[in-house]
Amino acid sequence: MDVGFIIDIMPEILEGFSTTVRLFLWSMLFSTPLGLALALMRLSPLGPFRWVAGFYGWLVRGIPLILIMFYVFFALPEFGEAFLLSPFWSAVAALSVWTASYQAEAIRSGVLAVDQGQFEAAEALGMTKLHYMRRIVLPQSVRIIVPPFTGNAINTLKQTSLATVITVPEMSLLTTRIISREFNALEPLLALAIIYLALTTVLVFAQQGLERAFRLKA
Amino acid sequence: MAPLDNVAPLVKVEGLTKSFGDNQILNGIDLEVAAGEVVSIIGPSGSGKTTILRCLNLLERPDGGRIEIDGQMLCEDGANGRINFAGKSEIRKIREEVGMVFQRFNLFPHMTALENVVEAPMAVKGADKAVAKARALELLDSVGLSHRADHYPLQMSGGQQQRVAIARALAMDPAVMLFDEVTSAVDPELAGEILLVMKQLAEQGMTMIVVTHEMGFAADVSDRVLFIDHGLVIEQGKASQVLGSPQQDRTKAFLKAVLERTPMAEENADSPPVETEESWGTGAGVDESEQIASLESEVARLRQELDAATTTDEPTTDEPTESGE
Repeated sequence: MDVGFIIDIMPEILEGFSTTVRLFLWSMLFSTPLGLALALMRLSPLGPFRWVAGFYGWLVRGIPLILIMFYVFFALPEFGEAFLLSPFWSAVAALSVWTASYQAEAIRSGVLAVDQGQFEAAEALGMTKLHYMRRIVLPQSVRIIVPPFTGNAINTLKQTSLATVITVPEMSLLTTRIISREFNALEPLLALAIIYLALTTVLVFAQQGLERAFRLKA
Repeated sequence: MAPLDNVAPLVKVEGLTKSFGDNQILNGIDLEVAAGEVVSIIGPSGSGKTTILRCLNLLERPDGGRIEIDGQMLCEDGANGRINFAGKSEIRKIREEVGMVFQRFNLFPHMTALENVVEAPMAVKGADKAVAKARALELLDSVGLSHRADHYPLQMSGGQQQRVAIARALAMDPAVMLFDEVTSAVDPELAGEILLVMKQLAEQGMTMIVVTHEMGFAADVSDRVLFIDHGLVIEQGKASQVLGSPQQDRTKAFLKAVLERTPMAEENADSPPVETEESWGTGAGVDESEQIASLESEVARLRQELDAATTTDEPTTDEPTESGE
């Protein structure tokens, strides 16, 4: 293994760094509210909401992400010009749709974990559902949601690499280019792994910070 | 507080029925509570006493019957045998008038004692923050916890948490307070401080419906005691009457079991309790004076606990083990 070679190719891989990070951040930005909405729909007393959200989760979690990417990039435009997205935004759309299905389950399990007595106390005080979900239930579920939520976020960060298949110039795509040019896979893949590890480590620390912030005072 | 005969009852329940699956919990409960009255509901586990309370603010939806609180209809039997409920917002309005204290406190753990108390008045009644806060501090003071206003529930003992829960319910200025076995989840030595607060509340004229296993409290504080079994009111009357000289065999058997701290046999579920030679039986040969004596000692014990709780609020047993002060 040639450490000098790793250092030499690092800048070229890092040219895709900002693309990777932007793919991740946009996907989180879209998937979090979508996941919350899906979770609340699945918890709704209204059947149609539950069915739609349930169907979404069954469908999206039941097919590979790569298929969703291909579908958004290649198949969706057949429905009209409006659906013709750049590779980057196709990847963001696919990652958002995919991540939301998992975040919905993380959020739903967090709400389900809140003690039934909390709902009853809030209702007995005459609070509206909207109010107690916002002020009583969700703040308590956040503490429970953080670990699976960040787990899903770590997954999404790594899965940005799949955007390679629709030609988004993120770090993995640049690395495969180096590999085919240099006829050498060891150092480029190692360099790429180091960068992903650095990024996921940041998320692990973020998780610890969030868990501390939402710990119940005792 | 004696009930006033000429005034419409504050709480009026007629023919309340409720089942969970095949299990019929309430078999037609009638109950009227006048303003200012303190009613204790006693009865064996599974008798339906908690379900009655939970129907009074529709945390549980009854299958049939009629509930009226302060002149507002909560539910009533409609045509074709179905029960009609008040609308969502009317139910919320009625809930504002019905304070409830739970066995397991159900304080909001992510909020301080003060935040727990001000949340509902501000959210539901639109109370001004400063006003709500002043009132909350007043209430926390009245339950002996002004020094715990900034503490989180998990930083407090069970007795303290339950007193905060009482203050939280009172902050809505309810017309009636429901207490659901509020001392059952706290250490026995902390029950006294909760009962003391309830006793003070009763003395101030609060209308209270209290589901309890604390016979001393029921004897000492309530105007009326209801004995419930199998979802029916078996016997009711003045505390001294129901607890001191019960008329019904089931009441006698229950009181005997409670006062002797022996569990009632499960097999009794569908038949009157099995009589043994030394049981309350048919009246002859029953040593009522002994029964009353043990009741009185229960009351005496309670009074001692109440005194202890008044004189030493700050101290010893009251403290959580590792509070983060």
